[in-house]
Amino acid sequence: MTTPHPDQSPVAPILAVEDLCIAFVSRDGIVRAVDGVSWQLRPAEMLGIVGESGCGKSVTAMSVLKLLPGPPAMYSSGSIRFRGEELLTASEARMRQLRGNAISMIFQDPMTSLNPVLTIGEQIAEVLILHQNLSKRAAWNRAGEMLDLVGIPDPRQRLRDYPHQFSGGMRQRAMISLALACNPAVLIADEPTTALDVTIQAQIMELLARLRREMGTAIVLITHDLGVVAECCDRVVVMYAGNKVEEADVSALFSRPCHPYTRGLLAAMPGLDVAADAGHRRLAEIPGMLPSLKQAAVGCRFAPRCAAAQERCHGTIPELAPVAREAPDHLAACFRAGEAYRGELA
Amino acid sequence: MNRPAITALPTTTPPLLDVRNLVKHYPTRTFWRDSPPVKAVDGVSFSLAEGETLGLVGESGCGKSTAAKTLLRLIEPTSGEIFFAGTDIAKLSPHSFRPYRREMQIVFQDPYASLNPRMRARDIVAEPLRNFGWDNRHGGERVADLFHRVGLNPDALRKYPHEFSGGQRQRLGIARALALNPKLIVCDEPVSALDVSIQAQVINLLEDLQADLGLSYIFVAHDLAVVRHISHRVAVMYLGRIVEIGTAGAIYGDPKHPYTRALLSAVPKIGTNRRSERILLKGDLPSPANPPSGCTFRTRCQQARPECAERSPQLTDNGAQHLVSCHFA
Repeated sequence: MTTPHPDQSPVAPILAVEDLCIAFVSRDGIVRAVDGVSWQLRPAEMLGIVGESGCGKSVTAMSVLKLLPGPPAMYSSGSIRFRGEELLTASEARMRQLRGNAISMIFQDPMTSLNPVLTIGEQIAEVLILHQNLSKRAAWNRAGEMLDLVGIPDPRQRLRDYPHQFSGGMRQRAMISLALACNPAVLIADEPTTALDVTIQAQIMELLARLRREMGTAIVLITHDLGVVAECCDRVVVMYAGNKVEEADVSALFSRPCHPYTRGLLAAMPGLDVAADAGHRRLAEIPGMLPSLKQAAVGCRFAPRCAAAQERCHGTIPELAPVAREAPDHLAACFRAGEAYRGELA
Repeated sequence: MNRPAITALPTTTPPLLDVRNLVKHYPTRTFWRDSPPVKAVDGVSFSLAEGETLGLVGESGCGKSTAAKTLLRLIEPTSGEIFFAGTDIAKLSPHSFRPYRREMQIVFQDPYASLNPRMRARDIVAEPLRNFGWDNRHGGERVADLFHRVGLNPDALRKYPHEFSGGQRQRLGIARALALNPKLIVCDEPVSALDVSIQAQVINLLEDLQADLGLSYIFVAHDLAVVRHISHRVAVMYLGRIVEIGTAGAIYGDPKHPYTRALLSAVPKIGTNRRSERILLKGDLPSPANPPSGCTFRTRCQQARPECAERSPQLTDNGAQHLVSCHFA
């Protein structure tokens, strides 16, 4: 897939990851955690990256801000461009300017990513003083406004609280206000609601959607929850074992999933809207488990678990390609994706 | 696989488990003064028939796990009665309770934390057998049998827990729970730590075991879709109390309690655009040490009226064994 140059394309991507390969060096070999992944994020877009544990989705996210310590992490090839600027070769000083300022990140567990010995206000103000040269007083006032923006009641008072005095949902709100304090162009949210209850998850996702509308922040949402993706994202990238296996608009992906892995995931999910008198449906299993990422792939990584696998799947790696001529934006890395698209695959 | 729907309890035989007014309060004290206790479980009653699955759902801190563990007396109840096959096991001495332990087992959420990392898989599964006096030869056969039963390879017998994947570890935990042929298994968030594709394998295994062995399950989970799938009946908990209980079809198809409705509407759904219908609950769960007066849900309820603060609603039957605790349901 070629990336159009930012200046030529009408909707230039704000963040473009191209052919990214990340490996971890360990004593028993090299683990290819991310193996040639490309995606683009357009301004004010919400892109979902989904997959199960170990598929490389979090590693991809961490690599954008170069948060992976190397060694053991090794960027063997590829490029990450933010507004046309290459980040993989950027200096650490430049990265520090970008982190928390132009590109922000929120993590799964807000308790471990907030500093327990500083008040919430001090932590938000620190970002503003560092990146926006605000005075202490101005930064403190702005921090209060940020807490108000994310819907924390009595924000001026709560600035003086420590993270342990906040509930889980409030901590995640505080994390979001911290990440958005400098009005970043890109927000990377790595499983932001996984540790939260559904009612709080609904509040947080509503908040992210609102902030994106009001501030125009482009969001990369990394999650294993297909339901969250279906409701919030514009486009979805499905990852399996370090590869991107499918990418499509959210409606296309859920109405016509083409990669057998995506189809398997959807079939394995129990549904909520089962009629009371409907017979009991047995969940579809995906047999087996994730392959070891230590060996280089010789065929499709999913082939050993795939019901539709054929002879060629074990020997040749399928290229990512449009599933049909009429759907040029719907990509899948499967020899039989076209059949799946036309509904010919059982 | 079609399971018979259990709608009403058979009246002739007593239920396997009959819990009445179960209470677990944790005393708290600050320096020299006693403060009000944390009401983790505050008067929970339900029954469970043989071969039935009861799902317990609610947000973190609602007391669902505490209630489940109190049933097995892994946590001693503060008060209340737990009738297991007709005997009140809440009052038994530890010695006379011991035989009941083999009838009721538990599968935990984190399969790694609940397996001893220094024991081999076969010893982990054999431990309950040894505790109840099986000799090594019969025990060994039983263990091999159990491994086959839960879909683990015989070569897994000699492995240690760290050599298994998450799904396999949960199979191991299930094998251990099955070892003594229990009648009841409490599953405390058994699939929450697993990926979707592995989760489906474990859920199918639990269903197969129930069909073959006639097990009863108490299935504690926060994932509403999983509970919908596996349960015959579902109890929704809020701040230590059951606010609604009924058949899975009734709870999910026709929820009566405002909390159940809010909970169900908060679940992200694929394929339907329901964003407009979502009921967003305001704020967080109140502290169980200092719950609101009257109806404990009134602080987050959109239908709350003044009288909700004064009178505490009781679980009342609206017909067809669908019980709701709300003044306006």
